[in-house]
Amino acid sequence: MSDIAVSVDHVSKRFRLYHERNQSLKSAIMRGRRSVHEDFWALKDVSFEVPTGSTFGLIGSNGSGKSTLLKCLAKIYFPQKGSITYNGKIAALLEVGSGFHPELSGRENVFLNGSILGMSKREITRKFDEIVDFSGVEQFIDQPVKNYSSGMYVRLGFAIAINVDPDVLVVDEVLSVGDAEFQEKCSQKFIDFKRAGKTVILVSHAMTAVQEMCDHAAWLRHGELVTVGEAEPTIAAYLDSLNRGETSAA
Amino acid sequence: MRYMKEVLDSRELLANLTLREIRGQYKRTIFGQLWSLVNPLATMLVYTIVFAFILRVTPPPGNPSGLNIFAVWLLCGLLPWAFFANVVQTGMGSIIANAGLVQKVYFSRIVLPLSTVGSIGYNWLFEMGVLVLVLAICGSFVWPWIPLVIFVMVLLAIFASGLALMLSVANVRFRDTQYLVSIVMQIWMYLTPIIYPISLVEDQSRAHGGLFGTSITLMDIYRLNPLERFVAVFRQLLYDNTWPNPQDLLFCAVWAFAAIVVGVWVFRKSEKGLAEAL
Repeated sequence: MSDIAVSVDHVSKRFRLYHERNQSLKSAIMRGRRSVHEDFWALKDVSFEVPTGSTFGLIGSNGSGKSTLLKCLAKIYFPQKGSITYNGKIAALLEVGSGFHPELSGRENVFLNGSILGMSKREITRKFDEIVDFSGVEQFIDQPVKNYSSGMYVRLGFAIAINVDPDVLVVDEVLSVGDAEFQEKCSQKFIDFKRAGKTVILVSHAMTAVQEMCDHAAWLRHGELVTVGEAEPTIAAYLDSLNRGETSAA
Repeated sequence: MRYMKEVLDSRELLANLTLREIRGQYKRTIFGQLWSLVNPLATMLVYTIVFAFILRVTPPPGNPSGLNIFAVWLLCGLLPWAFFANVVQTGMGSIIANAGLVQKVYFSRIVLPLSTVGSIGYNWLFEMGVLVLVLAICGSFVWPWIPLVIFVMVLLAIFASGLALMLSVANVRFRDTQYLVSIVMQIWMYLTPIIYPISLVEDQSRAHGGLFGTSITLMDIYRLNPLERFVAVFRQLLYDNTWPNPQDLLFCAVWAFAAIVVGVWVFRKSEKGLAEAL
């Protein structure tokens, strides 16, 4: 195992802002292949490395490109320039309960959602009890999930995702699910995760959470990387800039 | 090749998504799976009344089986068509229907259209099973032909998958696709000898002779339709109980192969941009 879990190498991501988009066949044919658009670079030449075993925070104001970068890391978007290389298995947790079918039971949905997240059937069977136990919905596991309360729904979704057991876990702001007791369980899980030498990359607006959990951080502003390094100075610099009102979108 | 491996690795996901469709479809219905039979039966009833009773369309009796029942003859062509049309239309919308999933999780996108092929194929298998029973009761000795029927079913499923793959990405870019395709499918159905025997087209073709001074007849153009070949092969096997015309069978195989190759190629090329384009 090398020291670098994820290496982001000169990544740029472009979105096209269409003024007159060829969204219908008619306009495409009438205007030929041309469509009027403007390029918007959501990420501009971002490079950094995430050390193995670290908890890495991505911080920045709204519209700074955090989520775009996260989606690039999760292989949902593909950057126009640059590349991202991974060491080991990566799992992304951008939403809980992806692909849940409301009419199916909790049990069936565990298998469905698990396989969407890349687990094999054997793996899910092995971890099934652990997942159900973690979610705390044992009693209702054979009920259709549409009858679940929203709390039960996200807890089950989160329990599956946290049990994927990747080498690198990419997390969006999903930590704030469930009640205080469940959140406590989640933080414990992250600590276990870290102790096992796994890497976590997380995006959050809650600076206290980032400060508490992360040892490394990267600060993005308008798609550009401002600083990267130890969590404390990076967060301090970011908060400092906010206080001085440097960023327009606070 | 590496793509093939990726798809192969997602076979469990494919199976799970297919199961999701199958299990979810008839949940909370009393008759469950039986509903999948109702649609073709209702269509059969309507077509039989209109075309056999009112318009007096008489397909040739099965040779050598000797069957001469319009409703059964119709079903031998109608069930494969219904499967095909269903796969193309549902598969086409599969990416959009699962937009939430595509934008939040990474997985091999190709499983989405393929899982609709699986779930619709499951219903089709059920329908064909019932058809085989009906054929047997009507006196058709269909049993020895079943392996070959299954082979042709697989060919049709491959052909339909190829089209569904192409159209599913086209539909993400241009939502017009779904409306256009539903019209095309309607026309396509009447351009295929499902509710009328091909002999009627032959008669017309003979009456007109070569078109525009060439030796190309109406029939030559008509037979370019891949579904015409598929329907012919299904009828030869199920209704006539005879070896299928090798040329027809070859045509089916070539069409299926071409569709899947182009379909996978197109899909693979646009796969990466899907999350953004949705």
